Amino acid sequence: MNQVGDRIIETENLVYAYSQDQEGETRALDGINLTITRGEFVVIIGRNGSGKSTLAKHFNALFLPTVGTVRINGMDTQDPRHLWKIRQTVGMVFQNPDNQIVSTTVEEDVAFGPENLGIPPDEIRRRVDLALEWVGMSEYMRHAPHLLSGGQKQRVAIAGVLAMRPECIVLDEPTAMLDPSGRREVLDTVRRLNKEDGITVVLITHFMNEAVLGDRVVVMDAGKIVMDDVPRKVFSQVELIRRLHLDVPDVTRLAYELDSSGVSVPRDVLTVEEFANALCGF
Amino acid sequence: MFRNITLGQYMPGTSFVHRLDPRIKILVTLTVITILFMVDTLVGYSLVFLFILGVILLAGLPTRFVLYNIRPLLFILVLTFGLHLFMNEGRTLFSIGPLVATYEGAFKGFTMAFRLVLLVLGTSILTLTTSPMELTDGLENLLSPMRRVGIPAHELAMMMTIALRFIPTLLEETDKIMKAQMARGADFETGNAIQRAKSLIPLLVPLFVNAFRRADELAMAMEARCYRGGEGRTRMKQMKLTTGDVLTGVVVSAGMVAIAIYL
Repeated sequence: MNQVGDRIIETENLVYAYSQDQEGETRALDGINLTITRGEFVVIIGRNGSGKSTLAKHFNALFLPTVGTVRINGMDTQDPRHLWKIRQTVGMVFQNPDNQIVSTTVEEDVAFGPENLGIPPDEIRRRVDLALEWVGMSEYMRHAPHLLSGGQKQRVAIAGVLAMRPECIVLDEPTAMLDPSGRREVLDTVRRLNKEDGITVVLITHFMNEAVLGDRVVVMDAGKIVMDDVPRKVFSQVELIRRLHLDVPDVTRLAYELDSSGVSVPRDVLTVEEFANALCGF
Repeated sequence: MFRNITLGQYMPGTSFVHRLDPRIKILVTLTVITILFMVDTLVGYSLVFLFILGVILLAGLPTRFVLYNIRPLLFILVLTFGLHLFMNEGRTLFSIGPLVATYEGAFKGFTMAFRLVLLVLGTSILTLTTSPMELTDGLENLLSPMRRVGIPAHELAMMMTIALRFIPTLLEETDKIMKAQMARGADFETGNAIQRAKSLIPLLVPLFVNAFRRADELAMAMEARCYRGGEGRTRMKQMKLTTGDVLTGVVVSAGMVAIAIYL
């Protein structure tokens, strides 16, 4: 595409503040400089109140910066003329699957976004069918959403975003309310979107085992970015991560504990498979 | 316990009545209702009744189920008949103390009650054969010319859709909160009316708080999906009027008007 460089999301000295009683203002985001390139899979982690969700909502102009700028494909989110183009470019999936489904049937809900964009009926039909097929929910087309499982509802929500043909999808803790199998369904879908369709993914999570999926992990604390690197580098700093009241993936922790107690194993493993291979290599 | 609730009382089917365009169905229902207020002969009522009966049979609805809709009305029917029976002047039928029942009163009462029954039957056919979604779309479409005079057709339809979407969710939530409060010792079943009403507070407060939170999140999710009201919005499912639809509408309406004029 023809955008400036290949930056799809760009924040510059982003500050988001809200006033709290007489105490003055609280800064939920405090000077965020972040650039996300087209096609990347970025995971944002941080404990509750670290500002990760607030940051995500700046990516499609649901929140506007108090200070600084956010640009999507070079469009400033402060500029109301760009509002709808930005929201179509960056789709958003929220935490609670129940509170983002609008219609009484699955297909009608997936059609909601394209309908808002004023797309002709035939084209909407095509997009809805494609999007549902993508997330593997075609057979539930005419079902009522409240009869679906949590993972299925989240996949419908993803299809709803896909039908708008976004370039980037931001998922705000999409698995927090799901059971393990639902979590896997959603993550598989998201990963496929990124690898096969080249859609930029920003995944916000507090599950460290999910963070490993990204090309890049951004760690937030108290409204600031404290680490920004590939998962292997980020999670090799076990002490720092723990000081931020976060965890490292289970296997990484095991490797770290073993290594610290004198069993020499590589510290920078991220998955069980990797660790098994490393151990067999001895 | 609320898992399998049905919305409204729609009975899915593939009959001619089911497939008729919802807009035509709404208009025909309105015509029938209007005509019922204009007819005042027994023959006229009977013809409308036969028409409604015919539609019920054509739609393949279980007659007993349809008639069931009249039950809540029983009290009003008896009251209507009673009032008319005693309040009209005319030839005496019988008398209880100062109350005099008349032939004219009996006739008037009967036709009034009959009118009420027909009103309920006529409207329930509409809701029995049209899915809530179709009904909403039909209403939006019919009301949209009225936008110019300030009737928010799209907003009304969107509210109905969201309400329909969230009824099962909120019922499930009610069930969950009820169980949670019962586990904490809440008692929803004993005591007199006032005590029972009071015991609903621990149920209603969390339910409302959650509903507001949901509304907030839903609004944000809708905005994130570019929702900006009805302006410039298209619909995936277009309603198409067929010649058959129009013809049915015209024939039925003409028939009804004829009944009103000649009988």
